[in-house]
This record gives sequence, structure tokens and C-alpha cells, in this order.
Amino acid sequence: MRYAALVIPALFLVLFVYALIRRVKIYDSFTEGVKEAVPLVLSVFPYLVSVLILSELFERSGLAARLTQALSPVFSFLGIPPEIGKLVLLKPFSGSGSTALLADLLAAYGADSYIGRCAALACGSSETVFFLSAVYFAGSKKSVAKPVAVALLSNFISLIFGCFLCRIL
Amino acid sequence: MNVIFAAVFLGAALIFLFTDAEGFLPALLAGAERAAGVCLALLASYCVWLGFFKVLERCALADKLSRALLPAAGRLFRSRDARALSLACQNIAANMLGLPGAPTPLGVAATQKFLAARNGYAAEMLLVLNATSLQLLPTTVIALRAAAGSASPADILLPTLLASLLSTLLGAALLFLTHKIGRRRT
Repeated sequence: MRYAALVIPALFLVLFVYALIRRVKIYDSFTEGVKEAVPLVLSVFPYLVSVLILSELFERSGLAARLTQALSPVFSFLGIPPEIGKLVLLKPFSGSGSTALLADLLAAYGADSYIGRCAALACGSSETVFFLSAVYFAGSKKSVAKPVAVALLSNFISLIFGCFLCRIL
Repeated sequence: MNVIFAAVFLGAALIFLFTDAEGFLPALLAGAERAAGVCLALLASYCVWLGFFKVLERCALADKLSRALLPAAGRLFRSRDARALSLACQNIAANMLGLPGAPTPLGVAATQKFLAARNGYAAEMLLVLNATSLQLLPTTVIALRAAAGSASPADILLPTLLASLLSTLLGAALLFLTHKIGRRRT
């Protein structure tokens, strides 16, 4: 794990040394790149607000809890512990929200328990599908229904597979 | 997205109406406030990575590195646009390395280039690859497990890696198949 932390400083070091050799003006180029950050965040902002408001409503209204309860027979049939159902439902909306929920689950059931391992796997092997689709297709009129459906289905199938792996590995 | 937004919003609003009417507006505001906070965090990481990527671009290093991958990437995305493909390759690499905040600006730039060239398939493929997780090292999850007192926090690595691999392959295959079927029909 300690080596993973070396990746980022090493990347910067290699690039900047290479830039010096190539006589690229590092300060000028870096600053020019930073300029693009504000327009990017501004274009992302409205979609982020809508998705996160939805995620907050989904959780606070108790809709997520009710759906989890309704779906728990399905989850247990597929080998997914029903305790992590809410995490599975919340993950596509929000990365920060599901990370907080994972921390709660790990504290409640223990990091090395089967439920804790499945929860960690559910968090680590999927992505924030709705968030990414909103940001990547921001301002485009193209429908994202197909890629979103494909991604959600693939993530769900791999979750079933992953929970099975957690039992045998 | 419109259907999901309407369904979740109406469902939640109905529950709020009957159980906790005062809680509705605070929930909306909390969501918007979180978005503002996330945006600030995103702005910071976009600044760092966009600066990094501009230096990379000026060195012409990224294009040189991704040239070897271009034929394969071109086939995957069905595109000949070398600049867009290079951005997509960098996005995938940044995802795999798990550089926090780095894949998004690259993904957005590549998607915009693909969409401008009317290559919807490439944009959808890039989204599916990103949304099914390409990360090789789930660093956040491992850190959380360590914080929760796990005996070996990294032992989740292998199942997670296999599951992400399966979801990515499955997603790419499904998108490819639906695209082929859709084209045969028209």
C-alpha cells in the first residue's frame, strides 16, 4: 500500500523533469491549464446540484430505506447481504454519501465481517453512474439512458459475483 | 435521467408530505449545499490536474505515449480522431491509477470531442468504461477498512479487482452488442 502513495509525486517529478529537458515553460503551461478549471466546474455545477438534491431526497425521505426493505428478499436470493442494500442503491448517485455510509457499515458490522467485506467491495468495484453521466454529457441533448442502463446492470451483476467471491476468497 | 429524476423526486416528496413535511425544504437545501461543497473540492483538484495535463500536452508526451495504444483505442471507440482518442486513453490511465479528480476533466474533454464528431457510440463507450470502475487500487475503501480496525485491510483487493474487471468487460460487451443490434434494425 505504501508504494501506491509514491505514484502521484513520481508522475509530477518525471513530467516536470522531462518538460525542463524539452524546454517547455512549466509555469506558463501549468497556469494556462488551471484557467480551464473554472469554466469546467461551472458547466458541471447545475448537474451536480440536481443529482445531489436527488440523492439527499432519496435518503432523507426514507425512500432508500423502504426500497432496501422491499428489495431485501431479492438481494438475499442473489447472495447479496440485505444490510448493504442501501449502499448499493445510493452509490450511483453520490460518491461522498456512499463513502460515509460505508464507514457506518464498517463500524456497525466490523471491517472483516462478511457484510463489511461485501460493503467495501460494493463501494470499490462500482462508480457514481448518475453523477458521471450527468457530468460527461453535460449540455448534450443526447440521451444517456442506454449507457446508464448498461453500466447499472453490469455493476449489479458484478456485485453478485463479488459477494460470491467474498464468501470463497 | 428525466424519468429517474421525476420518479425519485415525486416518490420522496409524497413520503415527506405524509411523514415529515417540515423536512422537505431542508433536504433540498442540504443537497444543494453539498453540491456547492463538492464543487469547491472539484475545483481544487481540477486546477491541479488541468495544470498537470497542460504541461503534459505542451511536452507532446501524452500523444507520444498513447500513439502505441491508438490502433486498439480506435477499434474500441470506432474513431479516428487521434486527439480525442489520446484524451480517452489518458482518462482510462488516470482511472486505473486512481488519481483522485484527474479522470473527470479528461473524460469530459474526450466526450465533448466525440460528440462534436457525432460519434455517440464512442461517448457512450467512454461513459460505460468510467461508470463500471476501472480503478486498480480502491485506495479510499482500503483506507476506510484500515480506519475501522481491519486485520488486513488490503485483502479486499482481489475480489474487488475481479468484480470491477467483470463489470467493465460486461458493460463494454453489452454496449457493443446493443449498438450492433440497433444498427441492424435501421
